[in-house]
Amino acid sequence: MNQRRRDLLFRLGGGFGAAALSQMLPQSLFADTANPLAPKAPQFPVKAKSVIYLFMHGGVSHVDTWDPKSELTKRSGQTVPESFARGLKTSRIDFNKALIRGTPWKFSRMGQSGIDVNAELLPHTAKMVDDLAIIRSCYGDAFDHAPAINLRATGSQFPGKPSLGSWLVYGLGSENQNLPSFVVMSDGAMKAGNIPYNAGYLPTVYQGTVFRKGASPVLHLDSPAGVTPATQRSTLDFISEMDKRHLASRETDSILEARIAAYELAYRMQSHAPEAVDIDKESDATKKLYGIGEPLTDDFGRKCLLARRLVERGVRFIQLFSGTNLGDDWDDAHNDLVGALGKMCKKTDQPIAGLLMDLKARGLLEDTLVVWGSEFGRTPLAEGKNGRDHHPYAFTTWMAGGGVKGGQIIGSSDEFGLRAQEEKKDVHDLHATILRLMGMDHTKVTYFYQGRDQRLTDVHGENEFADLLLKG
Amino acid sequence: MKLRFLLILYGPLLFAQADARRGIEVLRANCVSCHSAALKMSNLQLDSRDGLMKGGSKGPSIVSGDAAKSRLMQMVTHAAQPAMPPGKKLSDADIEALRTWIDAGAPWPKESESVPALEVPSWWSFKPVTHHQAPSGSGTEIDRFVQNRIKKAGLAVSPKASKEALIRRAYYDLHGLPPAYEQIRKFVEDTSPDAWEKLIDELLASPRYGEKWGRHWLDLVRYGDTAGFEQDPYILDAWRYRDYVIESFNQDKPYNRFIQEQIAGDELWPEDPKAQLGTGYFNVGTNRDMLFKVEDINRVEQLTDYVDTTSSVFMGLTVGCARCHDHKFDPIPQKDYFRMQAIFTPAVKHRIFLEYNAARSYDIGLNYREFKLRDVAEEIAFIQKPYSEKIRKEKVAALPKDLKEAFETEDEKRTEDQRILVNSNPGAVRVSQDEIYKELSADDKARLDFLGRRLVGLYANHSSGPIAPGVIEEGRVSQDTYMPARGQDGLGIKVPPGLLTAIGGKDIPDPPEEAVTTYRRKALAEWLTDPAHPLTTRVMVNRMWQYHFGRGLVATPSDFGTRGSAPSHPELLDWLATQFVEKKWSVKAMHKLLMMTDVYQRSSNAMEGVRSKDPENIWLTHYSRRRLMAEEVRDSVLQAAGTLNLKMGGRPVVPPQTKEELYGMSQSPDNFWPVSWNKADHTRRSVYTLVRRSYRPPLMEAFDGLDGTLHCSRRDESTVAPQSLTLMNSDFAYDQARAFAAKLMEEKSAHAIAKAAFQKSLSRNPTEDELRLTVAFLEKQQQQTGTLEAAVVELARGMFNLNEFLYVD
Repeated sequence: MNQRRRDLLFRLGGGFGAAALSQMLPQSLFADTANPLAPKAPQFPVKAKSVIYLFMHGGVSHVDTWDPKSELTKRSGQTVPESFARGLKTSRIDFNKALIRGTPWKFSRMGQSGIDVNAELLPHTAKMVDDLAIIRSCYGDAFDHAPAINLRATGSQFPGKPSLGSWLVYGLGSENQNLPSFVVMSDGAMKAGNIPYNAGYLPTVYQGTVFRKGASPVLHLDSPAGVTPATQRSTLDFISEMDKRHLASRETDSILEARIAAYELAYRMQSHAPEAVDIDKESDATKKLYGIGEPLTDDFGRKCLLARRLVERGVRFIQLFSGTNLGDDWDDAHNDLVGALGKMCKKTDQPIAGLLMDLKARGLLEDTLVVWGSEFGRTPLAEGKNGRDHHPYAFTTWMAGGGVKGGQIIGSSDEFGLRAQEEKKDVHDLHATILRLMGMDHTKVTYFYQGRDQRLTDVHGENEFADLLLKG
Repeated sequence: MKLRFLLILYGPLLFAQADARRGIEVLRANCVSCHSAALKMSNLQLDSRDGLMKGGSKGPSIVSGDAAKSRLMQMVTHAAQPAMPPGKKLSDADIEALRTWIDAGAPWPKESESVPALEVPSWWSFKPVTHHQAPSGSGTEIDRFVQNRIKKAGLAVSPKASKEALIRRAYYDLHGLPPAYEQIRKFVEDTSPDAWEKLIDELLASPRYGEKWGRHWLDLVRYGDTAGFEQDPYILDAWRYRDYVIESFNQDKPYNRFIQEQIAGDELWPEDPKAQLGTGYFNVGTNRDMLFKVEDINRVEQLTDYVDTTSSVFMGLTVGCARCHDHKFDPIPQKDYFRMQAIFTPAVKHRIFLEYNAARSYDIGLNYREFKLRDVAEEIAFIQKPYSEKIRKEKVAALPKDLKEAFETEDEKRTEDQRILVNSNPGAVRVSQDEIYKELSADDKARLDFLGRRLVGLYANHSSGPIAPGVIEEGRVSQDTYMPARGQDGLGIKVPPGLLTAIGGKDIPDPPEEAVTTYRRKALAEWLTDPAHPLTTRVMVNRMWQYHFGRGLVATPSDFGTRGSAPSHPELLDWLATQFVEKKWSVKAMHKLLMMTDVYQRSSNAMEGVRSKDPENIWLTHYSRRRLMAEEVRDSVLQAAGTLNLKMGGRPVVPPQTKEELYGMSQSPDNFWPVSWNKADHTRRSVYTLVRRSYRPPLMEAFDGLDGTLHCSRRDESTVAPQSLTLMNSDFAYDQARAFAAKLMEEKSAHAIAKAAFQKSLSRNPTEDELRLTVAFLEKQQQQTGTLEAAVVELARGMFNLNEFLYVD
């Protein structure tokens, strides 16, 4: 293929509106090649076409939610044996001195599978355990939020690396004509800024696009106040006329043509994006399922419902964040575990269960992978009287849909929930697994930067566990 | 037939003796330069038979007499990773020679003797710069080098660009701003033979030049005004380094001196704070050490940043791989990485006093004020406390019953639901200053007003001190540096400071007795700026070439290693490197050399068929059209609108962003994006706006602006819909369109408005056809919007979005 065209296609990548751009360009431009933006030939069977990643920002206590530890209740108020504490560090407590704190909640065996979860805190999601694969052996090494969030999102504690979603879009291209392929919805300020959805060293087109609240989800989608659609249209026509003259006096240049098309796309998006986020036509029953209309669940419920709508429209990767640095956050558990965890679970439990049920009912769960996780767990030891500190050495992530066999537990942490023990999975293993379920070999999706073929999983990911998830 | 059969059977035996030598020759030519006693990459020595038999970290290299089982063979046939030699595969004949030799028992001249590499080092960029004569022909030397290759490629050359295109090109390349309409007229009308040269001289003499080329340099040194991560605190005086860079380019500071000041200004010119400003280089990257806690990690990461950035910026090498193991592709052993780290180990961050006495006075002023502030603050709290307690109580009392009970219950006795309520409503009982002020008694109010005036007085003369960030050392002895050793606990292996072995770098000796620092960075700076250093000059002239021509002669400007691109014009690259030294490392002289050529002045229209044969324009038959950089987009909009404020230097300015544009930053915009009080600052050049590492304004993001976290040697040029959205619909674009329109409204007729709009945004007059189109557009928009003014705003908005506005021909 002509390098300049390849270059153009590469730059258009699979990002925001790029596929649509390529469609709008003169066919002759691409006549000599198959469209590389069409989903690339998968290296593995494709189990999931889309991913919804539910990211609980701030750190969720694993021993109070998905990973019960009777030993903690038994030894509440004591210190842990020195051999267990050795080498563990976190921001505010000393593992040798802090006291064990048993969970104040009661765990129950749920579903056919009888998995033990905290159904007091998570009454709705607990009922869905037969659809979940619960990975109790996740671990990392970063115990501050920003580095830990960077790590979970990009595979590196340091800024500058592309996020999981960027890699997915880079590796798979876009299936969607008028919407971004990587959509992010958050509660606002996050401790790692926009790094969790940054394209890093990949071209900007792979950046996640933030969907905001309200009818106009994309930044700068609306014409300036007072500019009518007719006025906007006329100005775009003027630009287009002028650009055509500019192009006519130059020899064919695909980049210039692409830019002309970009303006048309921007205009079309002004109608498509608002349609995607308009939930008025959803039934009351559906809204209720997600907890929309209830004060605590309305916000996250809307996000979850939008996630389903975006999956229906072929969006590749949707990342929802619960928790914010400047408001309600999972990290409030530093001072008040009961209050903070109770609040955050209430806000998300019903919306998440609703999302799973809705996806299932519509047959979408089969090829939509839902991932629930956080940047780390929280200490099984008490911080102060009422809190728990950050704990990256063992925590829980669950996955559902996308061919994953539900009702199973993968791996374990030690008897105190201090360290991952069996089937240990770090972030690279998780990323490799998600890529695999999407049909990609994490060692083959590479981008040349700083002298080498970079990978999402760097030189790691050897404990990829898709087989475990699929067969159960 | 029979003979052939016999040869196949016995041939290897017959020729074994001769082929054995060939095997050793293949090793010498391809392997020994890295795997020698000197470099010993992967702990492997292939220059002696002992070394071969012993092998490296992965075991013996050969099994004598059995090529198939020999690791060496697996690697050269690419059956095992890493494939060797890096970046290429041996010819079948060479591979066969090795196979035969090993199968024959790997005979060696004398058992313990070692054979030298045929060439050390073998990689082109590590070899000395060689002097080349330009080929004969017409035009400048550069043109002759280029023409030679075009002829070989059999391509047609584009004619010279129009004078209008040339001046716009020169302005954007040297200033990052378009020329004014009048400047173009002047240039077009100047028919003297040296008009072009005069223009270049004029542009190089303007302070706008340093702002554009300083920005390139800031990309390379990962400049930011904040430290990164969750808190992303300010590096308060980072801007001093930014100004130093701009000033250095404007002064045409010799590049060798520029390097020396940045790497070791404190050691080389201990008495000259202006030279030490350069060491701000060590302070303007992502600074994990500005965070609390984990100090040991922070220090290691800082040193890693120094080694990686320094190698990339000055030598075009990515040494990062060698932090964990010997570099798999470049001849950089892990030991070299830590020898280099040892150079930076003794450096500590430091505040440079630009004027000693003034800086001392400044510090003392802060000290006095802090003492007073503590007392004032205590009194304020004392006066306010009873009021805030009373108001809080009233607020609690007024809450709905369940909330009220939750807040009234003591923390320890709260139920789970009460905890959730309290946790979910932190603002419910918060007391604001305004609320307190309304309740104050006359006496207390008077006293607080007095304290308020006192605070104003204490702060009235506050400003940045004459202080810059830099580094310093605290004595001639440094902490030791250790290289982690596999399977070994503790500190690892002690490593002395030293320079890259592959380029002939040696250990750095201890400093003389009288030294007050270790002289390690001094040694590095002097080594880098030795005219014989094979990388320093090549890398810099290549960067300049890239910024002028869109693509470097080496297309990977920060990777001159084996994974990077080979130079398209190796002789020209070396010729330029030689010129650079001859011209006393003058960057401005190099600009002139590059721009005075025919090749720079070609039209951006490729000749028929050229694009398909040379799509990347490697052979330079035409000028590579380029899109404006993010900063150029913003600055050009401001210039067209007539609002650009050309004030130079000083603290970073913070232009307004809408709430929507600030969405998602990790802290409150009040702390993270405090908009500058002075509106005139809002339209300063982009290089002076706050570079926050964790947030990029959407306009910058859409146009591939820097994310400020890593060394960046080349900006992307993507084409995405958000670019159109932000330039059409953002407050910035609309506000500037209105400012532009207000200027245009001074013209008398639609005709004159259209003409002025072209002149101010595209620096040219419209054609007849364009004029007709524009006037018709104005009429239509006037009908739709109701006023001529609103129609002109639309015209202004349209002009900012034209391809012609956004591209340089």
